[in-house]
Amino acid sequence: MSTNSLVLCRGSPEAWATVSAALVKQCNSHPIGDGFIHLPPPSVRQCVSEELAVLCTSGLGRHLESWLLNRLQTSLATAVAPEFLAGLEQPENELEERDRARVLLDAFHTLLEKLEPFIGGLETLGRWQEEGRGGLSGPGAEALRDRAFTIIRARLLFSPPAALRRRVLEFYSRTFSVHMSREGRGREGGSAEDGGPEDGGGACPGCVGPAGHCWCQEALLQLQELSDILRRLQLLEQVSSEAVTSIMHKLLEQRMEQHCRGEYERSFLVDFDEWLELVFGWLDRVFASTEEEGAAGSPQGWTPQGWTPTLGPGAAVRGSGSMLEQWRRHMHQFFCRVYVNMRIEELFSIIRDFPESKPAIEDLKFCLERTNQKQQLLTSLKSAFESRLLHPGVHTSDILTVYISAIKALRDLDPSMVILQVACQPIRKYLRTREDTVRQIVAGLTGDTDGCIDLANELSRADPVTLEMQDSEDEGGALEDWLPDPTDAVKDKTGSKRRSSDIISLLVSIYGSKEIFIDEYRTVLAHRLLHQLNYNTAREIRNVELLKLRFGESHMHYCEVMLKDVADSRRINANIREEESKAGAGPGEEPPTPPPTPLALSAMIFSSEFWPQLKEEKLELPPAVSQAMEAYTHRYEKLKAMRTLSWKPHLGSVTMDVELEDRVLTDLTVSPIHAAIILHFQDKSSWSLEELSAKLGVSKETVHRKLALWQQQGVLREEAGGQYSVLETGSSRERLERSVLLMDSDEEGDSNTTTQLEQREEKLQLFWAYIQAMLTNLESMTLDRIHSMLRMFVATGPVVTEMDVNELEAFLQRKVREHQLMVSAGVYRLPKAN
Amino acid sequence: MKVKVKQWNGVASWLWVANDENCGICRMSFNGCCPDCKVPGDDCPLVWGQCSHCFHMHCILKWLNSQQVQQQCPMCRQEWKFKE
Repeated sequence: MSTNSLVLCRGSPEAWATVSAALVKQCNSHPIGDGFIHLPPPSVRQCVSEELAVLCTSGLGRHLESWLLNRLQTSLATAVAPEFLAGLEQPENELEERDRARVLLDAFHTLLEKLEPFIGGLETLGRWQEEGRGGLSGPGAEALRDRAFTIIRARLLFSPPAALRRRVLEFYSRTFSVHMSREGRGREGGSAEDGGPEDGGGACPGCVGPAGHCWCQEALLQLQELSDILRRLQLLEQVSSEAVTSIMHKLLEQRMEQHCRGEYERSFLVDFDEWLELVFGWLDRVFASTEEEGAAGSPQGWTPQGWTPTLGPGAAVRGSGSMLEQWRRHMHQFFCRVYVNMRIEELFSIIRDFPESKPAIEDLKFCLERTNQKQQLLTSLKSAFESRLLHPGVHTSDILTVYISAIKALRDLDPSMVILQVACQPIRKYLRTREDTVRQIVAGLTGDTDGCIDLANELSRADPVTLEMQDSEDEGGALEDWLPDPTDAVKDKTGSKRRSSDIISLLVSIYGSKEIFIDEYRTVLAHRLLHQLNYNTAREIRNVELLKLRFGESHMHYCEVMLKDVADSRRINANIREEESKAGAGPGEEPPTPPPTPLALSAMIFSSEFWPQLKEEKLELPPAVSQAMEAYTHRYEKLKAMRTLSWKPHLGSVTMDVELEDRVLTDLTVSPIHAAIILHFQDKSSWSLEELSAKLGVSKETVHRKLALWQQQGVLREEAGGQYSVLETGSSRERLERSVLLMDSDEEGDSNTTTQLEQREEKLQLFWAYIQAMLTNLESMTLDRIHSMLRMFVATGPVVTEMDVNELEAFLQRKVREHQLMVSAGVYRLPKAN
Repeated sequence: MKVKVKQWNGVASWLWVANDENCGICRMSFNGCCPDCKVPGDDCPLVWGQCSHCFHMHCILKWLNSQQVQQQCPMCRQEWKFKE
């Protein structure tokens, strides 16, 4: 005890000197960069520990720590950091890149040299603390080291100078390109690493140095060295992360831009995966060279992640591994995001090109699952649709084509159909406002147009989805595959299981009911059947059968009857022909007034209740024709008891030859009214418009229009005074060339059936009676009230469900204009006068 | 000028020669068919009674079968007899 106190009084200044010198000097002596901390020889150690004990007993031991850290900070501030920065700031303009790399490395070398003593000292002190030598206590080596490195980081990199950042970025970019060119070559050549000395003819692709002066190898060594230094100083992440990140991001984006933009027919995932593997090889060089060190080095080696003695060297490996792993994840994520961003921009074009662009869709699907960009995709796609598709300049059939592509593409992209449903909402809404949508869809379904062949194919696809989905059966087998709706799904009344991807049902549901489509199809079918010369209905039968599978038997019933009518007509025709020939042969019966040439009349006999309403037009046919029709009717009445025929004189078609003095027009196919006109000219070669109009029972305007066809053909000529006469000798031969002509060419689209619009009009007219009755009883009603009342009471047919409030309002407004209704403040009432 | 009509394809609708539009039983058009039928015309013919009322054959048969005692025309309550 007494000796101890003596030592305390006498020796504390000396002891302090010895210990502090040992701490700092000891580290000065050991060589830089070997990773070992050399312990002083035992004799010195013995001496130091004695002095240490002296210090501790005098209570100065705990100040060692703060003294050392303080010295570190002071020297950093006054000498080390300025010197380091000055080293970096060396006249860089005059230097070659190669030299600049050296400067950078040198600066870090010096930095390490200057800091090494302190770090070593701290290490020793920490060890002492841990051993509790001389009664020393403290936070331990690890904590001390942490503190020291915090100070270093704070001093050096609190605001990293621009020069440092620039140089680091340049250095890493260079080593990156060196690495990529080497690895790329190595991969192609078959050997993965160290392709040996490469000096090709031209500049080295890696370092862009002139031939023979390639410094790739050197650059890689420098990289290795720099990484080591930085790791020692625990600055690796701070210094290089930023540069590495920006390099990789830039290159990835560049590569994407070069390779993928506008290229939808190839998948890029594998491509980029390989490329990223190369990149990771470089990252490995930057970050993970510790692995060798950690595995081979002594337990005293320290790693950026912090070395813990209890875990042994394996921990270090794991540490850097996890860092690489982090980078790997980061890059994959980044790749996905960049890819998705680009494809989102291009999605409209991808959809437009769909079946060809399937690889792009699949890539996008893969990436989209990894990034959270669905919302962005939806917004962008929606606005793309709106700006590029949904404006008056685009033909309806084109919109439909894109919509169909979109359905196909998006159902691949998102099997939950949410994207499809949300993104195509604007299209559906827009299509609803186009009048010819239904017609286009039906035309597509029946394969009439060139544009939408898809639809016809879709219709004939095996295993169609019936539009009346049975809820119960749908769910049966798929219970185990059930997935909850994505959170961004639109909540609608139909529920998720109804979110259909079937193209036809989606198209049909644009209007919310299939009745409209069936009506339209009926109209198209009627038009077709009436214009067919033969009774060949094979194609129509097929279409009707296919539609039956989708729309259900009951809805297509009318169409079936129509087809049956055609078949029946053929039979009846054959029957009547036979009768005729028999009658002609038999001596007893004779036709009432045998026409000069027996008119070959055949008839399409239809069931009026099942066909769409046909336009009623008056037309007086020439006697020969009407007699033939009467005769036909007689025979029909004989064939079918108690039934008769009602002819539609304006419908049908006539095939005829017109023989003129110098020419013959053969096999003209015209409408009955054209035929009637020309037949009249056979009796009398010159007619006025009035005479013809009276004779045919058709308005002058119509006659005038129909005459145009014959004028076109050069058969008739308009003369002064509104007279038309036959042109017996052709003025020009060329007219003859056009012997085939389209029936009704002068009035395109003038269908024989009443249009959809007119039919709706009639249906609405049906409501008028109800509305009148309601208003008589209740005096006045608002629009909504009328609508809901109609819904309630007139819910017999499909008509009501199709009628929305707007349509009703338009209808009522018209009634108001026609003074059949009065409206004030949104309340409708009947006018008093009645 | 000489016009030679090779073929005239006319269009006509058939209709029953009856004194009414609709069947008095099912209220459907005669030219359509009774509620049980799909196809009009031959498959769903009309029949006339001696009282000159006519109905879809299926309709009147159904009616007659449901009559227990006496078979009457549903319109005029005379005894129903098919007109030959």
